[in-house]
Amino acid sequence: MKSLLSNLSPNKDQIQKLALSTIGFIVLVYVYFSFFLGPLTRSHDSMLVKISDLQSKLGSAKAEMTKASNLEKQASVATSRYAALTSLSPEGAPIAWFPPRMKLFFANLQIDKTTTRLEGNLPYKEADLSGWMRYTWMLDLPQADFDVLGKAVAELENTEALLSINKINIHALPSDPQFQQVSLSVSTAILKR
Amino acid sequence: MALHLNLLHEEFQEQRQRQRDPLKIGMMVLGGLGAIMFIYYMWNAYQTLGIRRQLNVVQESWSKVEPNVTAAQKRSKELNGIISTTKVLDGIIESRFYWAPFLEKLSRCVAPNAQLTSVDGAVLEDNRGVSVMIEGLAAGREPRAAAEELRQLLLEQLGQSYHDVKIEFKTLEDLDTLAKIGGANMAMARFALSVTFNPSNPAKVAPPAPARSKK
Repeated sequence: MKSLLSNLSPNKDQIQKLALSTIGFIVLVYVYFSFFLGPLTRSHDSMLVKISDLQSKLGSAKAEMTKASNLEKQASVATSRYAALTSLSPEGAPIAWFPPRMKLFFANLQIDKTTTRLEGNLPYKEADLSGWMRYTWMLDLPQADFDVLGKAVAELENTEALLSINKINIHALPSDPQFQQVSLSVSTAILKR
Repeated sequence: MALHLNLLHEEFQEQRQRQRDPLKIGMMVLGGLGAIMFIYYMWNAYQTLGIRRQLNVVQESWSKVEPNVTAAQKRSKELNGIISTTKVLDGIIESRFYWAPFLEKLSRCVAPNAQLTSVDGAVLEDNRGVSVMIEGLAAGREPRAAAEELRQLLLEQLGQSYHDVKIEFKTLEDLDTLAKIGGANMAMARFALSVTFNPSNPAKVAPPAPARSKK
């Protein structure tokens, strides 16, 4: 009986081998998960995330393109209007083109000797008008008939959509009561170039 | 009972010990596990390759679509900017005060026995209203009444187009000088009118120029 038990119980050499096998097993599991299966799983997961991300991007891209195409149709009125408004601001410094334009405008209506002075310019507070500047001008019309002046003001307000008259001063000329001396303080929205 | 002698017991014991060798058993177990793990790894690698192929297909589709999407997004942003800028500019245009209709009304209110010497008008800050100072002369048997007639007529005319119209005399004084109207000498009065109103519903388009000239 004793000899049977001694045969079944492991001896020292066997215990050492058993321990070695256990260590080998642990090392194998560690190497397998750390250097083989782990990176593979991470790569697998990251690719799945990328695929899902790209698929959602593709989905939203289609919606985005449809939206842009619809917006293009809806914005046709706004774009043509915007083009018309920007065409009121020619290239170059406003001080170079606005006074001659006013002079020509009033000269065409038989009001001569018009002078235009720049009073100042300010940016707009509205974020949407960051590309525009508000210019204030003083227009002096030294001699104008009231009838002609009325026509000129009406014409100016109708043709210069971005111009508004803030102040108007009409004084009869003591030397010739038929005519008036007029000064207009106007502000215009001009596109920054 | 027959006597059974085992003369090879040492060889049998060695053979049993070899069969129970823990290292050998461990190596076999490790080998088995390694094989299972290898198969599992290969299965995973195969699946990963499939996913990689799928990813390549999706990436290719995206690379085809991306430039169009970027252009569409840029265009959308640009269009939204244009729409909002146009809206703000239209707001500015629509909130302007049109002086031509006012001048027309003013000219229609001035009777032949009155003369305006100055008109100073200003649009108040933030479009809170319009303020106008009118100075002039009125002539007649009752020059003050002529000036009052002008004020009343102006109040009526401006009230048709504007809100909160207030017209009051700042000064109204008789003058010593006489004016000849229709061959008769008439007394004169100098007046100054303060006009304020709120053009809450300004005219969209200025009408034709005034028909009558200022006296």
